[in-house]
Amino acid sequence: MSTILDAPRPRVNFSLLSRFICKPVCFVGRVEKVHSTGKTFTLADGEGQCVSVELNDALEEELSGIVEVIGIVSNKGAIIASTFTMLREERGILFDLELYNEAVNVIHDFPQHYPFDAAESG
Amino acid sequence: MSVNLTAGAIEALFNECPVENPVLQVMNIREYPPGKQGHTRYRLKLSDGVRSLSCFLLASQLNHLKEAELLEPNCVCMLKKTISSYLAKKRVLVVLDMDVLQTAADVGGKIGNPAQLTDKTADQQEAHRSTSSSDEIPGPSGYDTRSSCENSGIKSSLMKSSWKGSPVKGPGMPPPMKASPVKGPGMPPPMQASPVKAFGMASPVKRSGMPSPMPASPSPGPSQSPTKLTPIDDLNPYVSNWTVRARVTNKSDVCNWSNSRGEGKLFSFEVMDESGEIRITAFNSEVDKFFSLVEQNKLPIKRFTSLKNDYEITLGANSRIVPCDDDHDVPTVHYDFVPISQLEAKDPESIINVIGVCEEAGEVSLITTKAGKPLFKRALELTDASGKTVTLTLWGDKAQRFDASCHPVVAVKGARVSAFGGRSLSAPFSSTLMVNPDIPEAFELRAWYNQVGHGLCSQSLTEVRSPNGEFRTNWKSLSDVKTEQLGHDGKGRGECWSLSQLSTGQEAGHTLNWLPANRRAHRDKQPHPQSHLGAYYFSSVATVVYACKENALYRACPAGSCYKKVQERDDGRYHCDKCGKDYPVFKYRFMLSVNLADFGDNMWATCFQETAETLLGLNAEQLGHLKDTDEDAFNEVFQKVYFSSHIFRNRVKLEMYNDECRMRVTVMDVLPLDHRQYSRRLLNSVRALARDN
Repeated sequence: MSTILDAPRPRVNFSLLSRFICKPVCFVGRVEKVHSTGKTFTLADGEGQCVSVELNDALEEELSGIVEVIGIVSNKGAIIASTFTMLREERGILFDLELYNEAVNVIHDFPQHYPFDAAESG
Repeated sequence: MSVNLTAGAIEALFNECPVENPVLQVMNIREYPPGKQGHTRYRLKLSDGVRSLSCFLLASQLNHLKEAELLEPNCVCMLKKTISSYLAKKRVLVVLDMDVLQTAADVGGKIGNPAQLTDKTADQQEAHRSTSSSDEIPGPSGYDTRSSCENSGIKSSLMKSSWKGSPVKGPGMPPPMKASPVKGPGMPPPMQASPVKAFGMASPVKRSGMPSPMPASPSPGPSQSPTKLTPIDDLNPYVSNWTVRARVTNKSDVCNWSNSRGEGKLFSFEVMDESGEIRITAFNSEVDKFFSLVEQNKLPIKRFTSLKNDYEITLGANSRIVPCDDDHDVPTVHYDFVPISQLEAKDPESIINVIGVCEEAGEVSLITTKAGKPLFKRALELTDASGKTVTLTLWGDKAQRFDASCHPVVAVKGARVSAFGGRSLSAPFSSTLMVNPDIPEAFELRAWYNQVGHGLCSQSLTEVRSPNGEFRTNWKSLSDVKTEQLGHDGKGRGECWSLSQLSTGQEAGHTLNWLPANRRAHRDKQPHPQSHLGAYYFSSVATVVYACKENALYRACPAGSCYKKVQERDDGRYHCDKCGKDYPVFKYRFMLSVNLADFGDNMWATCFQETAETLLGLNAEQLGHLKDTDEDAFNEVFQKVYFSSHIFRNRVKLEMYNDECRMRVTVMDVLPLDHRQYSRRLLNSVRALARDN
């Protein structure tokens, strides 16, 4: 699904998922559990809420730490991932998930300053 | 509303039987001429409708009740706490706490017809007085309103100012069972959990509400050593010569002062036993005597012959402290720690206890105080289970002695909350610092830190500061520099500030995030950077987009601190115009031009020796060597720096150069960029802007 990467995908946390059903989003969270099949795993956002992520192809490697997932939100509030990235710890600097969560909230609290639609058309 | 008096209460009080919150009527109030300290005392005659007793003394913290005319003859009140004591061998019942239930106006007249319960030495002179006529006389019926028997037989012998403990300064009825922090004059402010100087009760740490009078345990005669111990809770100025057995919980350092009245020194310490806590201060000669004796967590027995203030003890010349070894029944220290996340809710200047793990400790730095004296300070980052971090500043001895290795658990009793940088803590002279203390909270915190805390990136309540540490960072974006024309002399907001302007914070320019008024609070006498006329200092987060490698180095005079560029002579020697001498060698020095950019704009700046070294990661000599020998490696150095982001502390100034006037930016300092702190700052700004709109 390379087309998903053409469209802007707003960064969301758990509480915002409901607003983006059937839309592409970017979700960053900490890996909580990986299903034995390797086709689904849960991520916890900065507020501790968990989201289920479904993959088309099973995971090939061990997944841990902070992961960024781009995908579409399903009706049940899970994310059907098209691509994901593991954010590796860099020089001992840990990813501050709470801070990221605050930033995400700011983005959505001030849509006039963070226009996603304009980016899409422009 | 009719109020019933507690019949039989007077007799019970007189006989030292416990009575719970007796309701009594005030028959009479007599004012006594000030004693030594010049304070008025009020003596009350109270009745329960059956009996009356005139040997009640109003504790001076309740004087305001009388002075506000709440307490007047015929009013009805409830005694909540009294103490029985002896003054010059006469019985006295001191009312430490009472409520006025009904004012005299509401009561209307005397309730009942109480007979005077006399002390042995009373004279009885009855004077008749007509009552104020009123129809509503509540209380036990069956008595008619008759003129009150005023006992004008003043037991003045009882009231001789012979008590050693002199009464308290100042008014103020503390809410019972609580002590609130108040600043004592010139003394380090007392702590939240411990008794307030000149006010209030001893700390309610282990207190039971006791309305009944407690038998005081005065000892006969000063020369006899009393065998009976007094619980700390029972201490009040009306007893002299008592012994207390308690554990020292806190000991401050010796503080010297000199003022117009001369010099002095003091140290204070706090003790606690199973009834409560109290602070003890020793002055001058007593300091020498007792300072070494008093040690934290040891158990002295104290005997005093004088009490200076209510609920704070001053050691007199006749006091004795004896360390005692058996500590079986004296409890260990108890603290009330405030979680760091709640510090934002605390008022600045309030005193609290805090415990946290020291994640980071700065170096000990020496600063000069306003008075010109050198003072050590050290900043620690404390974090606790609430997930927040705060900066704690240690001073003097504490700063020097602190050992920050292995993330110690640090507990401070008596830390002062400050509004500096948002919220921060200071350990004033009077506070006590404990490293890895032997208390349950410390163990819990250590366990939490080992499991969870060390990995947490908690948010600091104290804003990031420049390494000088003394002032709040003045953040500007690069576009601000242009739009605000920073550094231009005399041009509106770009104007530089004189030191006096800064210190009064007058032209703070609230719309801009300039030098905040809290700078006033700083007692350091460091020359303010903005005091240079024409120079403006600010900090920015920026990325290096270009660095001129061609002219990064220049050949400088090798002599000491002469940095003048030297000219190469024909004979291979180097001539310095400034020194006027020739040298066989030169020193490479940096003068690096960089272009810095952020989201809004870019600007050129110059990095001299230190900042260039920090930025490039090697010193001038090394780079010079590479330039002469290995060109690829030389280029590589510059490649690495491109697109690196840092915090730049800059100085912008109007400078003359060959008759040309230009704005020149010099990089004073390059600091690593902490993205988290930067993010937090931005988030806070966003929220602040949103609030203001």
